[in-house]
Amino acid sequence: MRIKTLIVVIVNSLIFIVVLILSITFYNEFSKVIEDRILLQLNSIKTLKKVQIEKLIQNEWNTFKKDGVPEDSVLMSTQKIPQNFKSGIYDLSEYDQSGEPVIGLIKSENEKRFIKQIDYNKLKSILLERTGMGNTGESYLVGANYTMRSPSRFWPDKMPTQITVDTKGVKEGLSGNEGRAVIKDYRGVEVYSVYGPISISHLNLAILSEIDRSEVIAPLQKLKTRLIGLIIVTMVIAVILSLFITRYITAPIINMQRSLKIMASGNYHKSKGFNKNSIEIREMFNALDNLKKALQGAVTFSKEIGEMNLNAEYTPKGDNDVLGISLLKMRDKLIEFRNNENRNRINTKRLMVDGLENERRRLSRELHDGIGPLLTSLKFYVENRIENKKKRKEMIKLLDATISEIRLMSNDLMPSTIDDFGVGAALRNFVENVKQSSDIDIVFEDLTNAEESRITKNQAINLFRIGQELINNSLKHAQAKHIRLSLSEFENFISFFYFDDGIGFNMETVKLGSGIINIKERVEICNGKIDINSQKGETTFEIELPVNYDSN
Amino acid sequence: MIPINLIIADDHELFRNGLTELLKKYDDVNIIKSVADGNAFFEVIKEHPEIDIVLLDITMPNMDGFEVLKQLKSLNSKIKPVIISMHDDGNYIAKCAKSGAYGYLLKNTDQDELIKVIRIVNKGKKYFSPTIAEKMINFMSDQKVSENILSKKEKEVLGLIAEGLTTKVIASQLFVSSRTIETHRANILKKLEVKNTAELIKKATQLNLI
Repeated sequence: MRIKTLIVVIVNSLIFIVVLILSITFYNEFSKVIEDRILLQLNSIKTLKKVQIEKLIQNEWNTFKKDGVPEDSVLMSTQKIPQNFKSGIYDLSEYDQSGEPVIGLIKSENEKRFIKQIDYNKLKSILLERTGMGNTGESYLVGANYTMRSPSRFWPDKMPTQITVDTKGVKEGLSGNEGRAVIKDYRGVEVYSVYGPISISHLNLAILSEIDRSEVIAPLQKLKTRLIGLIIVTMVIAVILSLFITRYITAPIINMQRSLKIMASGNYHKSKGFNKNSIEIREMFNALDNLKKALQGAVTFSKEIGEMNLNAEYTPKGDNDVLGISLLKMRDKLIEFRNNENRNRINTKRLMVDGLENERRRLSRELHDGIGPLLTSLKFYVENRIENKKKRKEMIKLLDATISEIRLMSNDLMPSTIDDFGVGAALRNFVENVKQSSDIDIVFEDLTNAEESRITKNQAINLFRIGQELINNSLKHAQAKHIRLSLSEFENFISFFYFDDGIGFNMETVKLGSGIINIKERVEICNGKIDINSQKGETTFEIELPVNYDSN
Repeated sequence: MIPINLIIADDHELFRNGLTELLKKYDDVNIIKSVADGNAFFEVIKEHPEIDIVLLDITMPNMDGFEVLKQLKSLNSKIKPVIISMHDDGNYIAKCAKSGAYGYLLKNTDQDELIKVIRIVNKGKKYFSPTIAEKMINFMSDQKVSENILSKKEKEVLGLIAEGLTTKVIASQLFVSSRTIETHRANILKKLEVKNTAELIKKATQLNLI
């Protein structure tokens, strides 16, 4: 799940729950208070009515007891009233022919009975007085047979005694208890009901004050709607706010996510502008930056290694920088590998060159010491045995030419001087021969230690070949007038220097066959150094070889 | 007439035979023996003290011509060695001459030249033909002379240092590398037991080196 959604859901759920709980609590408290208020008011109304009614009845009774009223003028029909009714107040409704509720007063004096009916209208006016009762409030009386003794507000045309009220309130009231309850009244409508007994003399009635629950909870309904509206508004605001905040918080996180994605795809250079809006985020970005730098370092380093630039340096960021440490290890391995490779390559080259030179030496000796003497022997033979003087002369001339040729070939292959007198003498002879056959001014200065030279045989051969190659090259290409060579032997190194004033060559584009490459290779074989400079009129080769270098 | 007693030392049998054959024509030459190397040569001369001349090849197995020359010199022998070799380079000739050879012949020498040399040498004279002598002299003239404290090169370098030239300039004038001049300079300082250029010039002037 996206962090944005997560935050929005969590925050809004929390807000929703809090608002909901608050609203429900508030609603419940409010409805309880209202209920209490209503019931309290109902109770006081009921109590007021009860007191009024009891007072009315008491007054009527007192007046009736004192004055006495003629029997028939007061009572319409008394035939059915049982004779055993003593003096007192009675509910006489069941004896009334019209069915109207009747509360009667009975006085027995001297076997004579006086009966008076309390004015129904007086009772009615007390009970129908509905101040503070709203639209649905009513107070009424119920007789012991669970029928009403006062008119119903809702059914004004119905005879009260025809309406049966069999509710908890009535039962309790008739049993002499006072109380309150939410019950269904005679209409089957939910009402708040407050009940109590009216019990004077023989009269036993229940008085109830009731109000419709629907009227009571009407404001609660309104409140509910408002609360729901409020919840909705709050939630909408909360969602918008949280979206905004989430955006604010998650923007850098999303930025970072993008950065990390870019980095994960292997690009450590792309940098994005970030808005760092809190300390934690800023620190996180700094950490990311450091990580990026570290990775960049490692990446640059590995790139260098990839390009075989093994001199590249890298400092690991710590003991845990496994990448860096591995890269360093890899570099060291590569260096070792390259060194081995180089050594092997040079060794192979050395072996090859040695083989070549040995072969040349063998061939040179073979020509010089093998074929040469044979030819001279042949010459003796000719001189001894050929009688014809002319023929002899021709043959000897031919033989002499052949012998010179053999000597030249042998010298070209490998002058024996190199082994017998060292490289200095060999180069001197070579230069001497070149001088004979060309008009270039060429000087070779031999500063080797003739008596006890420390130049090894391999070095000697390689130096000789280098000198040979350089001179031959300039004869062929350089158009030089002067060539200067010097070979100096010192205690710890051998210096070979070459100079010519020819046309020079471009080091980058030079194509002198494999001449220069050969020279470089030979220097490498001898573990030497070479420095080549060339421009028009001045070309120099500086070669240095170590002394005491063990050629094996 | 006393014949010239001769011995040939060469590792090629055919050559030896050819040479012997050739020399037989001359009545004043008596070839005692021909041997294949230096060791055999020294065996033979013990039995033949009458030998006058040895025709000696340089390149031989076991003991070569140079070694033979050296030993003959140290034995103070009366035998006069004449080199007969395929090598025609000045350095070989010079070395042999230095080592006591009375003559130097190339193997393809004409027989007239050969007998001429034998006869001259037999009289106790050394002889080198003009061509041979030229090659030898060419080589010798290149040799450095190092009897003095400083070598020829070092003197040259010292002179240029005294002129106040820098190492680089000296190097390019003498056609050597800068490092070579530096080394020469260091060697000169060491040999003259001085520490810097100023002291060097002073000491060199005292010694009349410049």
